[in-house]
Amino acid sequence: MTVTQAPPPLPMRDKARDRTAEAAAREGVGGLSPMLTRLAAERATGVLVREGGALYLAGGLVLHAESPYAPGIGTLLTAGGVLPAEEWWRAAGIAGDLPGTARLLLAGGRLTPAALEICHLHALYDAAYFALAPSSSPGRFHYGPAPDADGPLPAVPVAAVEREVLRRRALLHRLWPDALLDGVPLLRSTPVAAPGVTTRQAAVLSLADGVRTAPDIALAQGRRVFPTLVEVRRLAAAGLLGTPPPPGAASPPSELPDVDPHIALLKRVRDALEAL
Amino acid sequence: MANTETALKEALASIEGATGAALVDYTSGMALGTIGGGKTLDLNVAAAGNTDVIRAKMRTMEHLGLKGEIEDILITLTDQYHLIRLLSGRGGNGLFLYLVLDAKRANLAMARHQLKKIEQDLEV
Repeated sequence: MTVTQAPPPLPMRDKARDRTAEAAAREGVGGLSPMLTRLAAERATGVLVREGGALYLAGGLVLHAESPYAPGIGTLLTAGGVLPAEEWWRAAGIAGDLPGTARLLLAGGRLTPAALEICHLHALYDAAYFALAPSSSPGRFHYGPAPDADGPLPAVPVAAVEREVLRRRALLHRLWPDALLDGVPLLRSTPVAAPGVTTRQAAVLSLADGVRTAPDIALAQGRRVFPTLVEVRRLAAAGLLGTPPPPGAASPPSELPDVDPHIALLKRVRDALEAL
Repeated sequence: MANTETALKEALASIEGATGAALVDYTSGMALGTIGGGKTLDLNVAAAGNTDVIRAKMRTMEHLGLKGEIEDILITLTDQYHLIRLLSGRGGNGLFLYLVLDAKRANLAMARHQLKKIEQDLEV
């Protein structure tokens, strides 16, 4: 005797959470962090520490940003082949801080001003994207002494950083509206009709092992993190990349495994329709 | 050897008919530096929009299996030329120079040649 079983229900998505993320992405400049807006207005100097990273302010301008999720300027310069790693570390050891390191490398002719400036801006905006990401805990600001005014690294206005972070968020949201993919371990999946991938996407896929997150993949490749986030969202939209099922959360026996390509396809179609 | 600001200034000063220039990162569409443009042309918007042009062309080339690299892209309007030059230096991956020219005053061949020189000056 055959027992017909109704197909298992598709898991529901938390729409409330999605909407808040979407609303945040559409909010105007200044909606990122009220504290940052206030600090810019009072032309504060110091460090703003948030869950995803830190922003270094001087006179209301952003001097530098760092985040554990975004490779720093040293990593970008050395991994990209612009500078041998030993050179960077030697200069960093002598100077002790970032502007000093930059000044030493420029003086030694190891680096051109344009290359340094561009790398600095890339590192700054990538780190700011994570530092200003929505977080559950409030930020803290530590007032500090003013750094030397004529450092070799250009400072940028807070408004420019906020605008850029919002633009990036909207750009990623348009590709695939799931901001969780920025920070969770990624795993390849096998869709029914796999579209072709570019060389860079193939490189990202080859590193998605269910343990590495998007920032880990960027670090492993020595690349900037934002282009990796873009590729990850594109691959997720194509159904080639997803998150591994949480360990220990065994599905009920009647339920088909989540990796079933047809279910995965249906979920993607549903997600895409909802995102319209 | 120049920083981005001086390189862009030089582009505007040395290229006949140039009215605006920008250095843009095409993975994010962010303008790393802009000069000129005035009230009539927001170079930040132009920068973000033109990244889509480059991306579309790159995708097409990949589908066609073409191995060459894009050197530059020329868009001719009735009264303007827009010239996009992709930077090829070791650290310049993912950047392009965007130049707006007044069609009446510009010399395209010279502009292309000079833009190439500015790319070399940037040494990124």
